[in-house]
Amino acid sequence: MRDTFVKTLLEAAKKDKNIILMTGDLGYGVLDTFEKELPGQFINSGVNEQAMMGMAAGYASTGKRVFVYSIGNFPTLRCLEQIRNDVCLMNNPVVVVSVGAGYAYGSQGYTHHALEDIAVLRALPNMEVIVPADPAETAELTLSIIASRKPTYLRLGKSGEPTIHTSAPKVSHGTINEVSPGTSGTLIFAGSVGTVAVATAKELAQQGVSVAVASMPFVSTIDINYLQGALMKGPVIVIEEHSYRGGVGTAVLEAANAANLQGAIGLIAANQNNLSQIGDQNFLRSANGISVENIIKKFNALKVN
Amino acid sequence: MSITATPFTEAAGLALAARHEIISMTSAAKASHVASALSVVDVLSVLYSGAANISPANMDDPDRDIVILSKGHSASALYSVLALQGFFPKEWLAKYCNNDAPLGGHVTSKGVPGVELSTGSLGHGLPYGLGIAMSRKKSGAKGRVFVVMSDGECDEGTTWESAMIANHHELDNLVVIVDRNKIQSLTFTEDTLKLEPFADKWIAFGWAAHTVPGHDYTRLAAALVQQSGPTCVIADTTKGKGVDFMENSVLWHYKPPSADDVTKAFEQLEKNY
Repeated sequence: MRDTFVKTLLEAAKKDKNIILMTGDLGYGVLDTFEKELPGQFINSGVNEQAMMGMAAGYASTGKRVFVYSIGNFPTLRCLEQIRNDVCLMNNPVVVVSVGAGYAYGSQGYTHHALEDIAVLRALPNMEVIVPADPAETAELTLSIIASRKPTYLRLGKSGEPTIHTSAPKVSHGTINEVSPGTSGTLIFAGSVGTVAVATAKELAQQGVSVAVASMPFVSTIDINYLQGALMKGPVIVIEEHSYRGGVGTAVLEAANAANLQGAIGLIAANQNNLSQIGDQNFLRSANGISVENIIKKFNALKVN
Repeated sequence: MSITATPFTEAAGLALAARHEIISMTSAAKASHVASALSVVDVLSVLYSGAANISPANMDDPDRDIVILSKGHSASALYSVLALQGFFPKEWLAKYCNNDAPLGGHVTSKGVPGVELSTGSLGHGLPYGLGIAMSRKKSGAKGRVFVVMSDGECDEGTTWESAMIANHHELDNLVVIVDRNKIQSLTFTEDTLKLEPFADKWIAFGWAAHTVPGHDYTRLAAALVQQSGPTCVIADTTKGKGVDFMENSVLWHYKPPSADDVTKAFEQLEKNY
């Protein structure tokens, strides 16, 4: 996902010198080509996220589109007030790009797990939170972000994420992209955790239950029409690799409440029972409750028999 | 960088008029930070009377100089100077902190001509100004960036992160002016978190540093004339300057002037200027 992002950004930046890529001293082997090909549009600020984010905001105020790249919590929580005041309040077109969504850096420990970032960034006014499902969506979303002038948070996985969309995704602002259709319910996901949703739908299909699977990359702008249609079919289960508190599921509940929608919405998210647990991404997803088994359990609990 | 060190008589008149406005508006609004504003108003008056290339006529010019007041609690000083220089109507000052008024208790940029950045949380102005300076340097754009900070604000880590970045990138278009009044929120800076040797710190970070009398218009202006790298001007100031009973007192960081205080303060200004 991160390679697709950088490659897409590089091609766009070659044509638009106003695109700037900043990093807080991370991206070894990922940002090298960008730096080599466009040194005038690349800045390694050093290990200083707070100054870097304020600097990015000031830089963007001069008419540039500044992408700030780092791992999970560093360009988000570490410099939250700079994002709040200097980016969002001033409405400067900075794009905060984090890599390592959820448990992507699993064995590196909790400091490197990004599990509260969506809740925190989503709470900021003017901020558009975007969570691509796979490399194909990442490419499309990167292009649409470049074309917009809004403060944006782009939450990426790491590397080697499988393609979830079976055909090229058509990304348009605020829409939910259906991966596969279904008749008795819907599994909505954000991010590379969509592979768990796809596996769950397969398992349910073997049990004779048809559920749709859909990617929801736009967390700040929710596709109410899709959600309404989905709730009429059956339970909607929202799956995310993030804390229960304030994440994608909460965003869907808020949107359903604001639109007075009726129907059952279930949340599958990280329970964070053991912050110090070490393991790879799949292990930690499962250990924190993000599993095929739990999704089916939640679906069965909510469906009307 | 073409400014010459002529005596800044205009700054003296501007600063005195601004002092009257600061005292009146903080009293009317029952607002804090009158002494912080009186401390920094001479620095701002020098910048806006010619030391910085910024005026109502060129405030949208991309090559203008940028002035950022990072110590956002001194908003009344910035608003007074901007209004007196014609950036926006002077009548706005009387509505300082009123419901739905344009001017808030901390520096507000939206809808306020001449204000480049909303501030109020310390340690934000320098990184922001650094970003503008770096963008301009990389793209060959003209215009310098002046960031006016408080001395207590230098407790913030972003100050020293920014100092390193500006030095590394050889930003010869970035100037920090520190309002060195030696008092912060609860007590003196040196009793809170030692800043001294303050100039040496900037020099050790690769900056040029000049300590000048912070209420001397000509000396201040001279220190801002030219630079060859990132430059820090330490303006040696007195908190509450110009009103004897407000000077060097933590109390006046907070206390709004009463009607009686205003009368007495105006008498002080009459006597001292």
